[in-house]
Amino acid sequence: MITALELGLIYAIMALGVYLTFRILNFPDLTVDGSFTSGAATAAILITNGVNPFLATAAAFVVGCLAGLITGLLHTKGNINGLLAGILTMIGLYSINLRIMGGANVPLLGQDTMISALRSVAGVGWTSVLVLAAVAVIFKLVMDWYLHTDNGLALQATGDNEQMIRSFAVSTDRQKITGLMLSNGLVGISGAVVAQHQGFADIGMGIGLILVGLASVIVGQAIFGTRTVFQATLAVVLGAVIYRLAIQLALNVGLNPNDMKLMSAVLVVAALLLPQWKASPSSPAVARGAQR
Amino acid sequence: MLSITSVSKTFFPGTVNERRALVDVDLEMAEGDFVTVIGSNGAGKSTLLNTVAGRIIQDDGVVALDGKDVSRLKEHQRAARVGRVFQDPMAGTAPNLTIEENLSLADRRGKMRGLARGVTKAKRERFAEALTQLELGLEKRLKTKVGLLSGGQRQALSLLMATYSDPRVLLLDEHTAALDPQRAELVTRLTRSVVEEKGLTTLMVTHNMVQALEVGNRLIMMHEGRIILDVDAERKSQMTPEDLLAEFGKLKGAVVDDKTMLQ
Repeated sequence: MITALELGLIYAIMALGVYLTFRILNFPDLTVDGSFTSGAATAAILITNGVNPFLATAAAFVVGCLAGLITGLLHTKGNINGLLAGILTMIGLYSINLRIMGGANVPLLGQDTMISALRSVAGVGWTSVLVLAAVAVIFKLVMDWYLHTDNGLALQATGDNEQMIRSFAVSTDRQKITGLMLSNGLVGISGAVVAQHQGFADIGMGIGLILVGLASVIVGQAIFGTRTVFQATLAVVLGAVIYRLAIQLALNVGLNPNDMKLMSAVLVVAALLLPQWKASPSSPAVARGAQR
Repeated sequence: MLSITSVSKTFFPGTVNERRALVDVDLEMAEGDFVTVIGSNGAGKSTLLNTVAGRIIQDDGVVALDGKDVSRLKEHQRAARVGRVFQDPMAGTAPNLTIEENLSLADRRGKMRGLARGVTKAKRERFAEALTQLELGLEKRLKTKVGLLSGGQRQALSLLMATYSDPRVLLLDEHTAALDPQRAELVTRLTRSVVEEKGLTTLMVTHNMVQALEVGNRLIMMHEGRIILDVDAERKSQMTPEDLLAEFGKLKGAVVDDKTMLQ
């Protein structure tokens, strides 16, 4: 339970990144499957080489941003379909991640990490959950703040009405690239912290992650609402925790861990379909409204 | 101020669908000119506007603003000095942002968009004051999402936003055509007063001949990608919609569309 809560709060940072692209920019970005592992790999290899774990995690942010930059450039300057641009970066990153790690796995046991620092202060218990919750809330609040700056509003408008915001002299290309970079930077941080939490970085740890992110965003927002940005980002954080608890519950009742990906997929499909069934057939606008 | 020199644009060149939307068009607009553009469907009115906005890049010719060739500038770069209102009332505003956030986006036209707060108390007061001019009560609904407004309200807001940061050129593409008569009347009235107050150089496409004659100080008629009639303020004030229809009648193959006939 404690571990599930902790992991949920760490994955919440990733979910905030997915929220930024999927909801704000209206761009389903598959880069995250690769950039999550890139963040983990970068942090792990730096930590094993004696770099301060906080600096190593900051480096994971930068690497994540670079991954987002590549997808952004492919999409905006290369006119490649957004989904395909993400897939291309994700596939390419697989090889790069292997290069970064020098193998398929980097163990962090016995290393000084952010999580080992947390354990030495707070152990494993409600205190450690509280610390991680505070971290997740700080990320959420920073995102709330950013989205209400001039630049953040331009980013929101880019996802909302591209034609309109271009007519007010905003380069939608630049906004999309900014959004993709920030998003993948957050995903990179999340990957770095997950690696430190589980005690290793692994080449497969990002596979299917986009579904975890989407499930967190969609489930959280379905339960807690999206009326304001403040509410929407809170819903994303809580959604990430709920998702992790649900997985934990499923494992506890004896489900095969290998079936987890299928369960995630089914969960996302259900979350996408259920709101449409609630709406009456005569008002398709209601179903479309529920998408946002 | 705005000069369009020998501009041509052909869509789908070399195919059976080839369409010459603009043919060697010349148009010189002085500071503060308010030109209404009429013409049959496919005459090239919207293409002309889009060429100025940079949404369509001409095949030949030059678009110059304040004496500088802007032909190579992208749409968003030109938008620093060009304001636009679209025909679709949904097109000019961001539905999921609030009224004050939309205005704040308009307020930053051509300025750096950094990490300063988008809506401050001081700005909110300015926005509320500007909204009062619309007489729609929107100044009391600053935190309402724009998607909840009616088409007429959104179009009035679009007009306010497009003109808020004093663009050098204002482009209106049949911006009252999708509204009911009462709302169209309101938006037309607002257009006249804002253009007059700010002395904006304006290019307005319209289907409505009465509107084309009533509004602005110059009228041009387009047909098959060419400007075939250019009426100055004095002559325009004496013209009637019947005169304009007669001009249409002189054209070979010009089909006045139903919408125009009904008006």
